[in-house]
Amino acid sequence: MSATSSSDARASTRAATDMPPVASVEDLHVSFRVDDGTVHALRGVDLQIAQGEIVALVGESGSGKSVLGSCLLGMPPRSSETTVSGRVEVAGVDMVDDDDRAHRRVRQELLGAVFQDPLSSLNPTMRIGRQLTERGADIERATTALRDAGVPEPERRMKQWPHELSGGLRQRVMIAMALATDGGAEAAGPDAEKNDGPLLIVADEPTTALDVSVQAQIVAMFDRLRREHDCSILLVTHDLGVAAAVADRIAVLYAGRICEIGPTSAVLSNPLHPYTVGLLRSRLSIDGSARPVPIGGSPPDPLHPLRGCGFAPRCASAEADCVEVLPDPMTEQGRTIACFHPSTVPVDLRTNAVASTGMPTPLPKDGERTPRSDPPGRPGQIGHLARPVSALRLEAVSKGFDVGRGSGRNRLHAVSDVTFDVPAGGATVLVGESGCGKTTLLRMATGILTPDSGSVHWPSGGHPPQLVFQDAGASLTPWLTVRRQVVERLTASGVPRAERNDRAMDLLTKVGLDLRAARCRPKELSGGQRQRAAIARALANDPTLLICDEPVSALDASLAVRVLDLLEELRETLGLAILLVTHDLAVARRIGDEVAVMYLGRIVERAPTDEVFDNPQHPYTRGLLDASPTAEPGRLAPTLIGEPPTPFDIGRGCSFLSRCSFSTEQCETERPELIPVTAPQVACHVRPFAAVEV
Amino acid sequence: MLRRIAVRLASLVGVLLLLTVIVFLIQQTLPSDPVKSFYGRNTSPEVLAEKREEIGLDDPIVEQYTRFMERLVQGDLGTSLRTRQPVRSDIGSFLPATIELAAAAAVVAVVFGGLIGILGSRPGRGSSAMRSSSIALAAVPTFLAGILGILVFYRWLGWLPAGQRSSEVSASAPTGFLMIDTILGGDPRGLGDAALHLIMPAIALGIGPAVAIGRTLRASLRETYSEEYIRTARAKGVAESTVIRRHALRNAVNPALAMAGLQLGLVLAGAVVVEVVFSWPGIGLYLSQGIASSDFPAVIGVVFVLGIMYVLVNAAVDTVQLLIDPRLRT
Repeated sequence: MSATSSSDARASTRAATDMPPVASVEDLHVSFRVDDGTVHALRGVDLQIAQGEIVALVGESGSGKSVLGSCLLGMPPRSSETTVSGRVEVAGVDMVDDDDRAHRRVRQELLGAVFQDPLSSLNPTMRIGRQLTERGADIERATTALRDAGVPEPERRMKQWPHELSGGLRQRVMIAMALATDGGAEAAGPDAEKNDGPLLIVADEPTTALDVSVQAQIVAMFDRLRREHDCSILLVTHDLGVAAAVADRIAVLYAGRICEIGPTSAVLSNPLHPYTVGLLRSRLSIDGSARPVPIGGSPPDPLHPLRGCGFAPRCASAEADCVEVLPDPMTEQGRTIACFHPSTVPVDLRTNAVASTGMPTPLPKDGERTPRSDPPGRPGQIGHLARPVSALRLEAVSKGFDVGRGSGRNRLHAVSDVTFDVPAGGATVLVGESGCGKTTLLRMATGILTPDSGSVHWPSGGHPPQLVFQDAGASLTPWLTVRRQVVERLTASGVPRAERNDRAMDLLTKVGLDLRAARCRPKELSGGQRQRAAIARALANDPTLLICDEPVSALDASLAVRVLDLLEELRETLGLAILLVTHDLAVARRIGDEVAVMYLGRIVERAPTDEVFDNPQHPYTRGLLDASPTAEPGRLAPTLIGEPPTPFDIGRGCSFLSRCSFSTEQCETERPELIPVTAPQVACHVRPFAAVEV
Repeated sequence: MLRRIAVRLASLVGVLLLLTVIVFLIQQTLPSDPVKSFYGRNTSPEVLAEKREEIGLDDPIVEQYTRFMERLVQGDLGTSLRTRQPVRSDIGSFLPATIELAAAAAVVAVVFGGLIGILGSRPGRGSSAMRSSSIALAAVPTFLAGILGILVFYRWLGWLPAGQRSSEVSASAPTGFLMIDTILGGDPRGLGDAALHLIMPAIALGIGPAVAIGRTLRASLRETYSEEYIRTARAKGVAESTVIRRHALRNAVNPALAMAGLQLGLVLAGAVVVEVVFSWPGIGLYLSQGIASSDFPAVIGVVFVLGIMYVLVNAAVDTVQLLIDPRLRT
């Protein structure tokens, strides 16, 4: 866990060299038409990006951060009526008023763009090479860009199609494409003589769709590229951890305005704007001592103009002036904030505690509940206890799929020989990267899939486990009200007609939705409310076990924390057992009694939650923990190399062999079993971290 | 990729076999009596029965099918009851005119379909006006469009001829495709004349499919414009027209192609009507005359040939789709 860069030192050297900014934004307002009215996406933004600087733009969804990124590319959102006012200048070119031809030229020669989803941002019907050379870079230059972006065998990749590459590789190709600018001699810009690669890369959530281990590699690469090419990067992200790792400065966007900008370490250790404080405190972290505190309420409606500070209704330090007057940004000692009553007390990131003058518990609003102030006891010893009853027991289950046809037919081993149980009333979290088999395992646990071998047990007489999915918007029926959907479930489980409505309201109240929300259709609710509705529906047939598949990964931190709090509460009040699947270790830390880490269809480590985090035994678990972003500035420590292999031909040895730096001969020939029987269970021959046990 | 195409071609054989079964069964179930229509109504029942036995119409159905297949493989489609010529040579002389018409209609369908699709997918610029007018066009039945066309462009304006393939009544040689033959024969006037004759029937036949293809392409393009890779292309500074041509069209064209293949069936069915309206000497006209005179072998022959054309074109569409989208090849 070594810090490979010191962002502070860098930031100050940038300031010292008195170069004109690569990009500057002045009083930018952007609004566009949607069906319901006009969205005010940006409401007066000022931002300068210096050469070679990484600026992270953080904010919750709907804050306008992607719109700002698009405007820097000269590509404001398209709608029937888009208004852009103010100035956006990149390399001396006006990206608002100049004609489209000029914008295109800047994009072609000086800008790079990386978008969120590498699966959809490459043209599926164009070879990689053709996409890389489209801006005028020759083949040699394109190949170099691929190598620069860490793509192995670049020459071969040039001839491949996007669908032949893994997600991580595709994102590297995207980054290579951002680097492969027009290599022509006519390229303009403040230092045309240099002309190697872009002046500015706009990266819009570049790691959000990637696995944790790949995310860490990509983030580290941004830092390297910036130094090698001396280009600037605008890193748009919702994750403060990602921002902390590489950014020189952090700009916090809220309701279309920047509420705070400053050097990364200063913003993180001493946030001045109450919203920044809220963001930091609501962050789910793998550090167990910091209990996340969600921000209450919800952001202002983007369809309405702002009168006072947009954060005032959610802010504990707000006073009368905040509601009446929009605070202008003020700069002092390299830090800019737009707040009349800035926070004066540093936040202790270790504990999330603020002194008494800080933020009291925010008011509940819009059906979102505030958490109980005391954390529930974490029965970490549950693994050692005699388990009274299991809510779910999987016994040596395996499942494979045949993929491909004819001679290309192949057996995909999705789940191999997995045994575990969820105790009644317990909470088990299954952690793993994409393709590890966790979804297949869940499907077997709910009875949607039948295992090839092994068995699945639910308690006799109990109802089958209920599922809650990642995207509640897609799993709820769009044309039925929330209450109606719960009623339908109740009908299906045989509740008498007369009781259904009352029972439905009862369930909805339990998950924190009021009558008004109950009468809404899913579209009219916020993301957090939709997930609550999905949970209420899942509770309708009185399950003993709730299975949640990535239930919060589509939600902003504050909403995620509140949904996790709700699950915890349901567990206590209803005695519900929870099996939660996530790729995010921070979520696991927040809710589980026990964590099972899955890799390539097998469970490689299983232990009480605190044990896994404080003393991970399996090299893979350790790698995942290292890769998880923290809010520690400049921490770049990707220790997991490569990506998980596809589970086709699994050899005799350890499934983690190809990525493990501790492997011995035994690991190649003999598959490690989970040992010992008491917690923690680790499937590793070497157990390189056994010595550091506390 | 080549394996996929080979598999596709193999399955084609199966489809054609199925087609023969269907054609054979139609033959078996048609109410009209081919023997009676061949030998005339006044033939005595004894003679009819004798003849029926002679051609083998009383044999078990499997035997009849085997015989049917044997003849088919040899290219023998029987003898037309009307023209008293082998159906095969009849079709051989009428088919080029139909193929020429269908090809011209296909060009109309693809060109206009492409225009409707691409222009309609762009925001603003009267796309809704174009949508409603194209729907109105497609709603007009083929025969009505043909008759209206003749009324307007021949009767009133006098711009285009009312029918036939050319002004001179002469057999086309050597290929039977008038457009090609006139070029080969170095006859520019003849070519212009043939083209003028082709315009109206081709448009009458192609406009319905054009709208169907256009609407499919438009919907598909609209969806494609919101794809992330289109944003990527724009972010690279690619000009908007190139974005459409290079990035959007290729990804959006497959549904429209599938629709084009399906629409060909309508073109072939519509050809029968158009050929009658425009006195176009193709197999459609041959078919309609055959139906009128219960010319059973002729009807069967035409149905079989049209079936083969339909199956072949759709197989070609499948192959082109494989070429367009690499993801379909695995």
